Amino acid sequence: VSGRVRPGPTLERREARLAWLLMTPALGVLVILAAGPLLATIWESLFRHDLRLPWLGRPFNGLGHYTAALADPRFREALLHTAGFTIASVGLELVFGLLLALAMDALLRLRGLARVIVLLPWALPTVVAALVWRFLFDSQGGLAGRALDAVVPGADVEWLAGPISAWVPTVLADGWKTTPFVALLMLAGLQGIDRSLDEAARLDGASAWRRFAHITLPLLRPAIVVALVFRTLDAFRVFDLVFVLTGGGPGTSTEVVSLYAFTSLLQHLRFGYGSALSVIVFLVGFTLAIVYVRALGPAREAR
Amino acid sequence: LTFSGSVLGAEGAIVRRQIERFASLHRDLPVDIRVTPDSADARHQLYVQWLNAWAPEPDVLQLDVIWTPEFAAAGWILPLDRFAPDTGDFFPATLAANTWQGRLFAVPWLVDVGMLYWRTDLLAGPPATFDDLVGAARGALAAGSVSQGLVWQGARYEGLVCVFVEHLAAFGGRILDDRGAVAVDSPEAIRALAFMRQAIDDRVVPRAVLTWQEEQTRFAFQNGEALFLRNWPYAATLMNRAGSAVAGRFAAAPMPSAGGVPAAALGGAQLAVNARSRHPEAAWRLVAYLTAPEQLIERARAAGQFPARRGLYEGDALAGALPVPPEDARRIIERAVPRPVTPIYTELSSVLQVHLHRALTDQESPEDALANAARGMRAILERTGLGGGAP
Repeated sequence: VSGRVRPGPTLERREARLAWLLMTPALGVLVILAAGPLLATIWESLFRHDLRLPWLGRPFNGLGHYTAALADPRFREALLHTAGFTIASVGLELVFGLLLALAMDALLRLRGLARVIVLLPWALPTVVAALVWRFLFDSQGGLAGRALDAVVPGADVEWLAGPISAWVPTVLADGWKTTPFVALLMLAGLQGIDRSLDEAARLDGASAWRRFAHITLPLLRPAIVVALVFRTLDAFRVFDLVFVLTGGGPGTSTEVVSLYAFTSLLQHLRFGYGSALSVIVFLVGFTLAIVYVRALGPAREAR
Repeated sequence: LTFSGSVLGAEGAIVRRQIERFASLHRDLPVDIRVTPDSADARHQLYVQWLNAWAPEPDVLQLDVIWTPEFAAAGWILPLDRFAPDTGDFFPATLAANTWQGRLFAVPWLVDVGMLYWRTDLLAGPPATFDDLVGAARGALAAGSVSQGLVWQGARYEGLVCVFVEHLAAFGGRILDDRGAVAVDSPEAIRALAFMRQAIDDRVVPRAVLTWQEEQTRFAFQNGEALFLRNWPYAATLMNRAGSAVAGRFAAAPMPSAGGVPAAALGGAQLAVNARSRHPEAAWRLVAYLTAPEQLIERARAAGQFPARRGLYEGDALAGALPVPPEDARRIIERAVPRPVTPIYTELSSVLQVHLHRALTDQESPEDALANAARGMRAILERTGLGGGAP
């Protein structure tokens, strides 16, 4: 009589419920720390809110700030600068990161030590790195200027005062700082590749280049995509490096979107407009992330 | 009670001493000092965060002269008329810069004026005009006695606007006219900016200044590399210390003219009371104490800073304390030009900085740069409804 089992939730459903329960704190933190501020920023961006002009109140402005931003030449230039910076620095980091990873992978001894040494620039705070690079390219006895002077006497380049030349230390500093990160990701990828594939190709008489192009590179693709995603998103919202190294100058030649949003918000106290700029930066980054995740998906299944 | 401001070096030591003395006179009023960043932009940002969050502390704030209208309009600092301050003794220009909609919001404390430092071992006297200055610089450069003619602050920041304001006044131009309309694209202004750029092209001013702020220009002059330096009074005390290559071999003079009125950019520190302070009366007493003649004289003697009280320059209270004779200092201050007194100054200045810097780095011609700056500034005035001055 008592042996009848009441039909209850299946094991799977109970597990799922437990899983949600266990995830609640993490989701809660995500909502508070990520979604909350994001929604607050989006809300703020819909109003004309200027701390300097309290008598104007806080009238609803709809998407006015967004249309104004897209018509603002300074913002459009900043978008272009950010895109250029992202392409140049991420490209540089991928190439040199791959080379470094291949070199470290080929090391037979002292691999641990090599990894530690390679990682040093990555461990340095960005602001410190930016100050060091500014010092190198500074006009008063900067090493870069003196080195160029030795090669081309009388060159006398003011790196940070030239609209094009100011990008050189900016991109180099970012490359120097984050190539190690890319190299480590790639090294992990390289070490996950089955060595016997390479051996077999070698026995078949494939050249080193063919083995690299047809075995190593395709199998490294997931690692490359991961590095690309992280670095692109990071580079797109670059702030501290440019803030310290060039301040966005000369003029606005190296001004990136985060820097302009910061200026609008905290220096001009235009909270509505600055929020709209921040939301645009977020939307671009979010779109990029979705595109990349899509691109990453099939590669993962193929493995 | 909490005080926040610049508490670095010799200046910091004396602020601490004066505040301790105030606290010992008023046993019931302990005063904390809250250290804020030395960089003006960083301090501005920090103040905005505190005040916008309606923090009751710090009670007393040291402000840059250009922030007073902004903070006053935002309702972050108290109008001071309720304390009936005795303002008769202060320089009128410093009072005007701290007045918003007819009410005083901060008490002038120290005055900063741009001055021309020159080498007494290389020249017989300071140049009266910019043409004289260029001639003297060319001569010294050709003779090889210096490697740089004139150095000023040319990085894209507020300091560049101060340098421009002085050139502008020398050529007879202004940023805003009497009615508050943008006048920065006038022929005089274009001549002033073209002169600044020409000086760089002619190597009278080194191209390196385009990334320099106050301290880099001081180092260049202090190491004996430059014949002339445009800087604030603080530099004099430091350049006379041991280790300076020019100690005892330089003097300060008013900026030269060029057909207009020679003038200095007006800067300096003021003290204001936080509008949310829980102890406004006590805060006011600290402000009044720090801006009293005795404290100002002490500061002048210890750090060479210019008091904001005009009366102190008469008599011999300041004899030997300032880098220039008190009589000259008073004349320079009385001819000082304030930057536009408006809550949106930071944004106007930012537009101007960008275009000035573009012109100086050969990205725009002086005419285009100032036309674009004027257009940008007019758009801001129109958008904020502050075109004709106060709303």
